[in-house]
Amino acid sequence: MASLSYREKSLYASLVAELIVYGPYFFLHQQNSVNKVAGMIVGIIVLQIILQSAIAIFTRSRVTDERDRLIELRGYRSGYLTLASLMVLGLGMLWFHATVGHLQLDSGMIGLHFLSVFFGMLIIADITKTATQIVAYRRTL
Amino acid sequence: MAAIRNQIRELRALRGMTQQELADQVGVTRQTVIAMEQDKYSPSLETAFKVAIVLGVPFEQCFQFDPRGKR
Repeated sequence: MASLSYREKSLYASLVAELIVYGPYFFLHQQNSVNKVAGMIVGIIVLQIILQSAIAIFTRSRVTDERDRLIELRGYRSGYLTLASLMVLGLGMLWFHATVGHLQLDSGMIGLHFLSVFFGMLIIADITKTATQIVAYRRTL
Repeated sequence: MAAIRNQIRELRALRGMTQQELADQVGVTRQTVIAMEQDKYSPSLETAFKVAIVLGVPFEQCFQFDPRGKR
């Protein structure tokens, strides 16, 4: 860990927090609820504050430079592309299921269904963004 | 081979300077100095000039452009 920069440590912590909090989302998909999504958002915020504070305390040099900013931009670009692709795919699937009758658009669960799908997309895009940045630090830029 | 190559490692060693010392004087992280020395990162023009100034050599002695190299 000593050879990692402050930003790299911060990214590894973010990835761990994302996997711990968001991981169950995909495995417990049948039990989704507004409370569960809200709980995850609060959970990720609390866990991030704890982990990032610990890293800030135990890292002497917190310098960031132009390479950090370039890698950050690269991460946001891949995150955006992932989110945009999933959005198109997700909307297409919702339209398809609604057309063939698998999804009742007038049912009371439609709001939760949309929330689940879009929250899942955000999670995947966020993890993609963080993972891309970690890979960029380890590879040629 | 990278399009922009440099002699940072050799020039730094000649001056007995550590990667951390060079990084501190240039205003970048040690990891960025490592990436530059391994030709894995081409710095901005501003950072490249700072590196040359800190190492006390003309710019072209520190950095070279290879048009056949990949970017």
